[in-house]
Amino acid sequence: MSLEDLRLDAMRCTRCAYCKWIPFDLVKSWRFSKGCPSIEYGKFHSYSAGGRLITALSLMDGRSTVTEKVIDTVFKCTLCGQCDVSCKMCRYDLEPLADMRELRSTFVQDGHELPQLQPVLDGLRKEFNMLGQSKKQRGNWIADLQVKDLTKEKAKIVFHAGCRYSFDGELGHVARTAVKILQKAGVDFGIMGKQENCCGGHAYDMGYQKDFRTRADFNLKAWTEAGVDTVITPCSDCYFAFKRLYTAEAGSTIKVIHMVEFVDQLIKAGQLKFTKPVAMTVTYHDPCHLGRQGEEYVPWNGKEKKIFGQAVCYEPPRPRYNGAFGIYEPPRDVLKAIPGLELVEMERIKEAGWCCGAGGGASQAYPEFSRWTATERIEEAKSTGADAIVSACPWCERNFLDATSADGTKMKVLDIMELVEQAL
Amino acid sequence: MEISRDAYRAIEDIVGPDNVTDDPALLDSYAFEVMAETVRPNQSHFMPRPWATVLPGSTEEVQAVTKVCNKYKIKLKPLSTGWYHWAAPLTDNEPTVQFDLRRMNRILEIDEKNRFAIIEPYVIGAQLQAEVIKRGLNFAIIGAGSSCSVLAGACAYSGVGPGAFNMGGQAENLLGQEWVTPGGDIIRTGSLSSGCGWFCSEGPGPSLRAVTRGVLGSRGGLGTFTKCAIKLSHYPGPPIMEAQGRLPGYRMPIHENFRVYSIGAPDWDAWANCYHEIYDNRIGYIFHKQFGFAGANIAPAMWLTYIDPTKTMNDVETAVHDPELQEVFKEARISFQFVMAGNSTDDIQLQDKILDAILANTGCFKVKRYCEKDFAEFTNMYMQRMGHKHCNYMWVGGYMGSWMQWGTPDFVKGYAPAAVAAFDRDQKSHLLVECGGDALMGPGSALPGGGQTALEQFVSYDSADNASIKACIKHMEDAIVDSRAIGYPPGKESIYLQVGWDQERVFDAWAKMPQQFIFNFQRKIKAAFDPNNLGDRNYQWLPEDWAEKRKVETNKESHVGLGH
Amino acid sequence: MKTKKEDLIAIVGAENVADDAQTLESYSRDQSFTAPRKPWFVVRPKNSEEVTALVIWANESQTALVPVSSGAPHFHGDTVPSLPEAVIVDLSRMKAIKRIDFRNKVVVIEPGVTYSELEPALAKEGLRISRPLLPRENKSVIASLLERQPTLIPRFNYSLPEPLRGCGVVWGSGELAFTGEAGMGPLSLEAQWEAGGAQIDPKGPMSTDLMRLLTGAQGSMGIVIWASIKCELIPGVHKYLFVPGEKLEDLIDFCYKLERLRVGDEIFLLNGAQLATMLGPQPGDVQVLKQDLPNWVVVVGLAGAAYYPQERVDVQEKEVKKLGSEFGVKILNAVPGVTNAEVVSTMAACSSQPYWKLKLKGGCQDIFFLTTLDKSAQFVKTVFTVAEALKYPTSDIGVYIQPQHHGVSQHVEFNLPYDPANLKEVAMVKEVYAKVSEALIEQGAYFSRPYGAWADLVYSRDATATRVLRTVKDIVDPKNVLNPGKLCF
Repeated sequence: MSLEDLRLDAMRCTRCAYCKWIPFDLVKSWRFSKGCPSIEYGKFHSYSAGGRLITALSLMDGRSTVTEKVIDTVFKCTLCGQCDVSCKMCRYDLEPLADMRELRSTFVQDGHELPQLQPVLDGLRKEFNMLGQSKKQRGNWIADLQVKDLTKEKAKIVFHAGCRYSFDGELGHVARTAVKILQKAGVDFGIMGKQENCCGGHAYDMGYQKDFRTRADFNLKAWTEAGVDTVITPCSDCYFAFKRLYTAEAGSTIKVIHMVEFVDQLIKAGQLKFTKPVAMTVTYHDPCHLGRQGEEYVPWNGKEKKIFGQAVCYEPPRPRYNGAFGIYEPPRDVLKAIPGLELVEMERIKEAGWCCGAGGGASQAYPEFSRWTATERIEEAKSTGADAIVSACPWCERNFLDATSADGTKMKVLDIMELVEQAL
Repeated sequence: MEISRDAYRAIEDIVGPDNVTDDPALLDSYAFEVMAETVRPNQSHFMPRPWATVLPGSTEEVQAVTKVCNKYKIKLKPLSTGWYHWAAPLTDNEPTVQFDLRRMNRILEIDEKNRFAIIEPYVIGAQLQAEVIKRGLNFAIIGAGSSCSVLAGACAYSGVGPGAFNMGGQAENLLGQEWVTPGGDIIRTGSLSSGCGWFCSEGPGPSLRAVTRGVLGSRGGLGTFTKCAIKLSHYPGPPIMEAQGRLPGYRMPIHENFRVYSIGAPDWDAWANCYHEIYDNRIGYIFHKQFGFAGANIAPAMWLTYIDPTKTMNDVETAVHDPELQEVFKEARISFQFVMAGNSTDDIQLQDKILDAILANTGCFKVKRYCEKDFAEFTNMYMQRMGHKHCNYMWVGGYMGSWMQWGTPDFVKGYAPAAVAAFDRDQKSHLLVECGGDALMGPGSALPGGGQTALEQFVSYDSADNASIKACIKHMEDAIVDSRAIGYPPGKESIYLQVGWDQERVFDAWAKMPQQFIFNFQRKIKAAFDPNNLGDRNYQWLPEDWAEKRKVETNKESHVGLGH
Repeated sequence: MKTKKEDLIAIVGAENVADDAQTLESYSRDQSFTAPRKPWFVVRPKNSEEVTALVIWANESQTALVPVSSGAPHFHGDTVPSLPEAVIVDLSRMKAIKRIDFRNKVVVIEPGVTYSELEPALAKEGLRISRPLLPRENKSVIASLLERQPTLIPRFNYSLPEPLRGCGVVWGSGELAFTGEAGMGPLSLEAQWEAGGAQIDPKGPMSTDLMRLLTGAQGSMGIVIWASIKCELIPGVHKYLFVPGEKLEDLIDFCYKLERLRVGDEIFLLNGAQLATMLGPQPGDVQVLKQDLPNWVVVVGLAGAAYYPQERVDVQEKEVKKLGSEFGVKILNAVPGVTNAEVVSTMAACSSQPYWKLKLKGGCQDIFFLTTLDKSAQFVKTVFTVAEALKYPTSDIGVYIQPQHHGVSQHVEFNLPYDPANLKEVAMVKEVYAKVSEALIEQGAYFSRPYGAWADLVYSRDATATRVLRTVKDIVDPKNVLNPGKLCF
């Protein structure tokens, strides 16, 4: 992988700047029209997806060199993918998000790393998690719940809590709630307990594709040995890693379900009934990795071909990941099914959702930028008049919790599973 | 090339260290501009690189940095949303500061009663429209789309778009404005100059705004516009444009006071007649020949594929052969999009009647498939919000608009067939997108109330392929010859090409124009307001007695035109 | 060495050079309080070549030229020389209607063409232009438009100079150049027409709006030798509605909505005194009418042109009536004492003689400015308060509010009739004029057309405008030969 792989996209970028905004058809106000936290914070054009493509071109043509400022532009981004959605409103040939991931990977390859990420990577390599905690503590969240241990037994379904739920004491109860729901539904599943490894998704986004692969290979091997053919997770980042990265990069054929999808299926099948009202007004935040980046992966191995002389398409046709078929309705259907609960929407939702600020290594490498991004989202949530912002990803929730406690905001931060539990 | 350290430090002191950079890679993000590859050596995508990029946050900062540039003789090129090669610096190895005005992004005030909004440079069309339609108001988003700066269209560029026929273009809607001259003075125009508020662009006495823009503005070549007021029009639609469905083909249900049609013409005569009848009958809210830019041989297949979220570009290849679409191809060949808006049910129903009479009288018709609900709702969303304008580049990244000589519909129909034939010929090289010779697009009228239109060819090329880029350049050069061969002045490809010329060659070209008065006038305005020559030749002028000194023969007879 | 008169005769011919006392006297003053000054000659050129020669001569001989296109009476002081030894350039011989382009709805005329000449010629072709309120018969159309005299139909007023489009100009330097799209082509209208041009885009050429430098300029930038003007179709159906109000404030919200919706053609607001003056054929009739007419009235013209004219009017009338209910105002087909037909015929015609503003007392002083509609009532109050304090009979004051630019700006005008033979009245009106003007400008009234004494009021407060305009003036008229002493020159 080298910068040259980005040349075509870089030269075909037209500096239209759509990557900075949500799709314009969806703009409902001045305040909530922006799509890209990176350009809003960094301001110079290089902080946009298009700007990064130009950076790549500038570097590969020898017009500039990698400086600290350049590294800042490349890494100060949550890889939320809003740019990708907006670019692909009209471009069928560009892949800005994938390009930005590859750009990071080449930077890491070439030794242009962020020193502040080093402890995180050390933690991943030694303790197999993103929070720098001892791997011996992994699985402690399960406490007294009796769940099949897939290191000793077999099951077709593995419940993967993820690093954040495993080690974030404030959030771990969500994983427990999810487990209880699965048990109540009579699902035959197990957990990997202490052997659960980080999904590797964050490492991939930070540019450390080898580290990602190490984690992926480990997890897939462990699952295969346990007879697993499906992974259920309450963490959207893990969801994305399994659904899109494990498939594309590691040849996984494991089926991937997010807890919220599973609960939605149970409700629609009549297997889960809510009995208690939850009197609250909530607004739902679409996690990037469940929403616009949560589309089904379709294997493709093809090449560019030209039609009508010069128009680009692909042989065979290349799948289009543009957020059109992200997981948007299941979480909303779950919320709408909860009696007494009122769902009010923010302006930027679904494929146009503003990022929480946690992804892409931003919360570890650039805490101020990450916090600012989260605060922006909380402001948008407040504008709906909702009592709580609800999501389906612990990384989003952690960032929102930190943002709300920092400014003393009264807005609650909840996971969908918490509301489900209250309503059961 | 490094900016003077003293100058850099002075600028840092004004805007703060986070708001100025001279990092080469970051600067390259400003040098990279669309169409640079058509004018730069070796088809480079990079225009000349600025020596520093500055993000001012206020008029005062703009003025202060401008004064630093005067002191250190650094050229100044302001940019807001920017898009086109002439937005970058034009000359290599010339110290230039590029302003990136994105920090000046506020809507300062919306006076709903008196119908105007006061804005800063980085307010884009989508933002302003979203805020004003809440109040039942609207304005004409420019043809380049709602990602673009509203102020730039009003003060510094063209400002024409699909809504100009009804609401006026941004030139007509410009009210008071605030301008930091290259010399570092702040000039306010119209009623604002007299301390009477923003509501009037004229006067006092002769209008001061006359020196800031004409048919075009100075495009960054004569200082920085930091605020302006825009007149707004009544909007009889809903307070929020509710996009529905899946991307990319979002749809907007058609409000009961609106109608959304695509109108086809059997030939160019009927097309021109239809335009005239629309002008005379004063119906029409959004009026634009838009979808045809994809090329008459592909457009229906392309757009009907586009609105299906499960489809990709590969499906367009199949769709062009779809027997069910052949009728659409016929009907849509010469067609335009037409949105009508009424104050009431009676009003819109009457407009419908009037439109039917126009169609009956001119032999034009509604393009059936395009008027079906799904496509009409897509058209409604597209044309009202103009949020899909990077579709201009959808084939493979390169797009250049040629021809587009402005004039009456009869004037334009005079060149349309030649433009079609010429483009058809040029596509035979297979180095351009072969969409058919008719890839013409243009506003129903650039002038409110009608009277002037233009059609540009959408020439699509692979901007990553030198052979394709060169084919586009050849088309541009041929278009100039093709125009002259039918007695028309060259179109806008000529002003695009001029961006790559050296100053002398550009001056020689301008010296051939039949009337030299304006160049001399602008030279003197530049001398008065830009004494240290910080602005570039986006603001056109000629040195004194240039034609004489260079022995250039001014062409007094023919219409030599520069395009818009 | 030739005398100045000989020079002028060589340019325009002996029969077109006048220096007799009576002629000079007639051009030395106007209806305003501008100090009279006799010109030395009055010349009447026939074409652009003669105009060009005159301007070149003026530059060489350092002579002030004062362009005049309309016949008397003049009202704003702009046609009275400010400097001695001035030559009046009377353009009334340039009377050609050069082209009526029905297809593109553009007419090209010379400066001497008046409303009474142009309108019938256009009407023969089924066309009209948006006109000012009751222009006098000998009013030059070009002069009216150049001075941004407000026109009656706000929905056609996409910008204040409308319907003015392009101009052919002999600039103060003596150069001939065209404005707008015409500035890009050959220096010949015929050649441009041959090539399909229609002089329809007013903007430009290039990055300057040359036409806008001529508007409001009082002839101080260039002499316009032709202008293109946007035309409209004559309506097949045309009627007027009247919306009375006890107080001006009662009508403001109705007007806001009406103008916003762009319903109606002619829309303007008059007080009873103004309407009476407009409509009453004799002074006595005016006084009678004043008693019967409402204090304030909005006049709304409904017109239907092109297809379905009657239905267009019906739809608009329904909308107006709906607005009437919404804002609690009456919508009438006539006002007391005047029939709808009388209004229609008055509005369609030029002013009868004497000019309608002079009808009541023989003299009239105008005070006008631009503002937004919400502020108009406060300005009316100011004018009436000052006038009353100075014992001017406020019941005589005519008020005219004309929406411009789709209603975003409003031309607010006060007409103060007085007997010019009565020295006391003259002194009083002079004082009222001066004090009202000061009070209004302090209050934020925008004197966008700073005639006479207003020039000093405006430019002494607006250094920027002064600087920019002087810069432009130095370029286009470096020797300041065109109407020097006006504006800030």
